[in-house]
Amino acid sequence: MKVFLKAGGQLRTMIKPDVDHYTRLVEFDGEKTLAEILRLLPLDPAYIAFIYVESKIRDLSYKPSDGQTITLQPPVSGG
Amino acid sequence: MALNDSERERYRRQLPVDGWNQERLQNCKVLIVGLGGLGGISATYLAAAGVGHLRLCDSDKVELSNLNRQILYSINNIDQSKAVQARKRLAALNPEITIEALAERLTDKNAAEYAKGCDLIIDGLDNQESRILLNQISFNLKIPFIYGAVDGWQGQIGYFSPPFTPCLSCIMPEPPPSERTIPVFGALPGMVGCMQATIGLQYLMSGQTPLSGKMLIINADTFSFDTISYDRNPSCPVCGG
Repeated sequence: MKVFLKAGGQLRTMIKPDVDHYTRLVEFDGEKTLAEILRLLPLDPAYIAFIYVESKIRDLSYKPSDGQTITLQPPVSGG
Repeated sequence: MALNDSERERYRRQLPVDGWNQERLQNCKVLIVGLGGLGGISATYLAAAGVGHLRLCDSDKVELSNLNRQILYSINNIDQSKAVQARKRLAALNPEITIEALAERLTDKNAAEYAKGCDLIIDGLDNQESRILLNQISFNLKIPFIYGAVDGWQGQIGYFSPPFTPCLSCIMPEPPPSERTIPVFGALPGMVGCMQATIGLQYLMSGQTPLSGKMLIINADTFSFDTISYDRNPSCPVCGG
């Protein structure tokens, strides 16, 4: 299975993008939860404010489908 | 309350906007917390539109490094209270409305008092700890809260009105793990602040907004926008789902 991890801001360099400036391809066998996918990188979820898949916020127990884009949103708190 | 001649002329260009309700706006009270890059802009457009009563809250003084984005102030305002200067500027823009200046930091001791009687709260804050407090007040007093935040090229806007929508803590219950100086350039909080004012005006006049229960994510470097939805979190420390 493959998924695309997309991240902006501080997270962009942390995911080590390889598809384009913002996106990394992650391939693995079988199904994995978002938590397990982050461990593959590895990336500590503490750096992530929330994650969305196809415009819906998902928690770390969510299992994405093949080919989905997972967007990691960094903390954004300035004003 | 009927418009006077000066108000009719002042608002002449917006009165014909579809759904516009100037008299309703005149009777609204909005709390704006934080008068920097976000709040300075949202406050300006709410004042210009004629929201009857603005309550401005910010304990900070103007610094030189603010002036790349906080366009409500000038070099002549360095070391002066943002709340007081914002009040002066906005009163000069629109003397037809009432503007209060609270040169105080929002705390759990004063937040309920400051928000009491308001129809809407606009977030112009620069830290997540205070946003979590504002979210709690929004929930306790059942006052909708328009969230806004920026960092570099990233912007976020959300409308929260628990129990009718999820609250901010449903998705972000904790502040970020580390302190850092947040990079920010002026045009992006300008954009976000304008959007907050737009959503705020729509809500005040109609009681609704299409952003209810959603968040707009702005990636200004790619100029892409994502509107995302989320469910109430049954374990939320504020609204309990």
